[in-house]
Amino acid sequence: MVVILGGSLAAACAAPGSGNAQPTAAASSAPALSAAPTCGTEPITLKGYFETGFPIARALTDEFTKQHPNVTWDIREDQFAVITQNAPRVLADDPPDLMRLPQVSELVKNNLLKNLDDYAKVFGWDKWPPSQLEQMRLAPGGAVRGEGSLYAMGLNFSMTGVFYNKKLAEQIGMTTPPETLADLDAALAKAKEAGLAPIAQFNGGATGGLAFPLQDLMASYGPPAPINEWIYQKPGATIDTPSNLQATQHLEKWIKSGYFWKDVNAVDYATMMSRFIKGDGLFMFNGDWESGNLDKQMAGNIGFFLMPPAQAGGKRAAMSAPLTFGIGANAKNADCAAAFLNWVATDTQARTIGVEVGGSHPMGPADAPMPPVAAGSVTENTLAAGARIAEDNGAMDFIANATGAIYAKSWTPNLQKLVAGEQTPDGLLKSVQADYQSQVKGG
Amino acid sequence: MKTARREAWTGRVLLLVLMAATLMPFVSLFVTALHPSGSYPLGLDWPDDPQWGNFATAFTAARMTELLKSSVLIVLGVVPISLVVATMAGFAIGHLRIPGRRFVFVAFVLGLTLPFEGIVTPLYYLARDMGILNTRWAIILPLIGLFMPFSVFWMRAHFVNMPEELSESARIDGASTWQLFWKVHVPLAAPATSSLAILLFLWTWNQFLLAIVLVDDPLQRTMSGALGAFQGQWGTDIPLLCAGSLLILTPTLLVFLIFQRRFVTALLQGSLKG
Amino acid sequence: MKAAAQRRRNWAGWLFVLPAAAFYVVFVIQPLAMTVQYSLYSWDGIGVATWNGVQNYLRVFTDPDLFAAILNALKLIVFFSAVPVMLGLAIAATIRRIAASRLALVARTVIFLPQVIPLVAAGITWSWLLSSTGLVNQLLTAVGLEGITRAWLGDFSTALPAVGVIGAWVLLGLCTLLLLAGMSKIDPALYEAARLDGAGPLREFFSITLPSLRQEIGVCVTVTVVAALASFDIVYISTQGGPGNASMVPGLEIYYLAFSEREVGLASALAVVLTVLVIACALPIQWLTRDRSS
Repeated sequence: MVVILGGSLAAACAAPGSGNAQPTAAASSAPALSAAPTCGTEPITLKGYFETGFPIARALTDEFTKQHPNVTWDIREDQFAVITQNAPRVLADDPPDLMRLPQVSELVKNNLLKNLDDYAKVFGWDKWPPSQLEQMRLAPGGAVRGEGSLYAMGLNFSMTGVFYNKKLAEQIGMTTPPETLADLDAALAKAKEAGLAPIAQFNGGATGGLAFPLQDLMASYGPPAPINEWIYQKPGATIDTPSNLQATQHLEKWIKSGYFWKDVNAVDYATMMSRFIKGDGLFMFNGDWESGNLDKQMAGNIGFFLMPPAQAGGKRAAMSAPLTFGIGANAKNADCAAAFLNWVATDTQARTIGVEVGGSHPMGPADAPMPPVAAGSVTENTLAAGARIAEDNGAMDFIANATGAIYAKSWTPNLQKLVAGEQTPDGLLKSVQADYQSQVKGG
Repeated sequence: MKTARREAWTGRVLLLVLMAATLMPFVSLFVTALHPSGSYPLGLDWPDDPQWGNFATAFTAARMTELLKSSVLIVLGVVPISLVVATMAGFAIGHLRIPGRRFVFVAFVLGLTLPFEGIVTPLYYLARDMGILNTRWAIILPLIGLFMPFSVFWMRAHFVNMPEELSESARIDGASTWQLFWKVHVPLAAPATSSLAILLFLWTWNQFLLAIVLVDDPLQRTMSGALGAFQGQWGTDIPLLCAGSLLILTPTLLVFLIFQRRFVTALLQGSLKG
Repeated sequence: MKAAAQRRRNWAGWLFVLPAAAFYVVFVIQPLAMTVQYSLYSWDGIGVATWNGVQNYLRVFTDPDLFAAILNALKLIVFFSAVPVMLGLAIAATIRRIAASRLALVARTVIFLPQVIPLVAAGITWSWLLSSTGLVNQLLTAVGLEGITRAWLGDFSTALPAVGVIGAWVLLGLCTLLLLAGMSKIDPALYEAARLDGAGPLREFFSITLPSLRQEIGVCVTVTVVAALASFDIVYISTQGGPGNASMVPGLEIYYLAFSEREVGLASALAVVLTVLVIACALPIQWLTRDRSS
């Protein structure tokens, strides 16, 4: 005891952090691998840190244990906002073998994530369609995203758009999905007139769900490339552009027209899902990770379409991102975790889970077998939408992923203020851009 | 006399209203816990088909047995050490009148209102450097330190009022200071130490900030910290969350109801002295 | 000879203080000093810190979000402190005469419950009560006030007061019982005399009850003001500081800054400001209401 006390007292005088062993870039890239790593045959326990409410990760780990009985899991779950807060210190002080990752730039800057390049080479991930891995590549030092070394891997990659309740759509005479933004506006107005809640969305707590419709609107009004550049922290990128301003003004119009629930600022994600499934809300801006769930809970009554463009015949765009998982730079069982990630993308059973439980497109080679999907299901819809986005080259990462703190500290409060009438569209973009600049510079 | 009776009646009505306002949240929690898991019930609607099984589900989901064990271990770490250490210090400052006691006492008193948030950040790095991060020691050791100002303050108040003659006669019988403390004063201090034990138990059990900052694994936390994690994991399922919250409340409530007299007295005195 | 032995024995008494002092120094004084030290650096908690002078303190007072958190804590005093103390006084004065009745004994236990349960539980319970489908709105609708129903914790204008209501609920029982205990110590002869003079309950309250409760009121105010300024658990659970930053408080902001935004230096500067603020509020109250007779 005395020794501990004495030691800690002595350490207190130097500048904070100077006494720590720093993880270095060299330490995080292992010597080149000669053969694909496996989990071996000895009993091994992988430490996982997953997101609450997304059963896919658990379904996959359970199946993996079934196929590899020597592997067991020690899993902790938290909501995404909590993971975002905890990620750096968990990775630094108690690194998991496999972790659901928030935005990765700052984690890479601090050398907290394992460089996966060697695994990619030995497993052949580098031969997959490059767009699958693009968002998880970072230039040296984590400065710019979208190029460079691979630091994370997806369990599948998701696609966002607009779900709709078919019964309610019939009520207002909407028989085909809207083809333009004006069509969508008309449907919203009709739903409002009919006394329906036009949009089911969440915007409460630390997660501003209005970022979904906002980014969709941005993609309606403008091309996705500049938005991606902003998210990837390309020097000089800005979110405060004329077309984004139009998008934000459009969102404000929706708010003022009463298209969202009155208490949207207090609705969290789960409440939104529960209400939408109950039939409270015609449209919901969300992602295909809910496809499997919605097919089950609203069988036959659920449709999906990609956000329509402002001009008829325009290109479609959508937020599309891998369900990102990474390996701690100092994880004890990195090889086994990498073997698991490879298994997720290549094992037939795992790919089926990815689609059925996850609802999204599996990772992996372009010619890998696709599990069969029930005809007419919303899962079929969303997978088809994925093909369309690829065709239109319209995939964007999520604006909430630009920096680690941008969602909780900037988008969320500003969107909540926009709902309450305490922020203007112009002020919102300027405020987010200012926060972004200080975070990119300071981080 | 008429005024007196009217006053008594207003008093009774007021008491009933006050009790209702206090209990209503618990009732609402209970009713909600009986709704089907995953549903969004209205405030106080009795479910058509009460789901008593929710409590069993929550018991397993929250891993109550492990949580109880963890909280008990933490309490067993904090309370006995604090009691012994604080009683010794209170004895020295209040009864032995050691030189410089005024300074020592003031130094402790200054810590009485210190907000935990004021030092939680360095505590994290301190615990990490000591290698106790993510263990129960990371909660136990700092809590002993943080409760020390109050504990010493409390025990000193007891020892200040112990008559000097008591010690004089023991010394004449040849008792050493340690014997004097252990054989004479510790037994006499039982009322003060037992009240302090109750307060420390409660404060440890309910400690939240240190638990969520210093320990990641909910199963190594206090009940309160575990409840925070339970909300993180099951907050998406209101009835289950309510059932779990009630379960996590139960141990404190039971202890409170069993020792309620002592509890109320201890807490009232505790705040008066603090 | 005897005096010398006495003195030696007294110095030996220091050994009794040593363990307590060690815990206090290592786990309170040392971290406190480290907080002050951190507050002068810019540090992300992982790399090496760089000297930052008083920049962090300047930001605490100039960054509107940070300063708003401090103001919010001050506003919470109204709910955490003023409401429980005044309501507690009114209630205690009303039930004083039946304080020994069976009902009052049961009530003593019941109204103490919020003080015993974890604040986290109070937060979860009340988040549910104050939600748009919760009991509070149900009651308001029942009495025809449907127009004002809302998601109380998600509304910019009501989030902070709603958090305050939770605090008031937690602290009301403690204040009531403390004040009641204080009233029971007042000499009944004083009241008899006042009654004979024809004093009504109001004058009785202001001329006898209130002045005799100086110490108890001081305690209530201190405990509740500290609870308001250093609030964390309730806000963390019920609003996370939102919507926007409408219910952000310093305690929560320190937690976010230190552990999610990794601005350890800024977090520490805010921690120092909070600590000073708490002491600056607690000391004068204690001094003003101290029982001068003892």
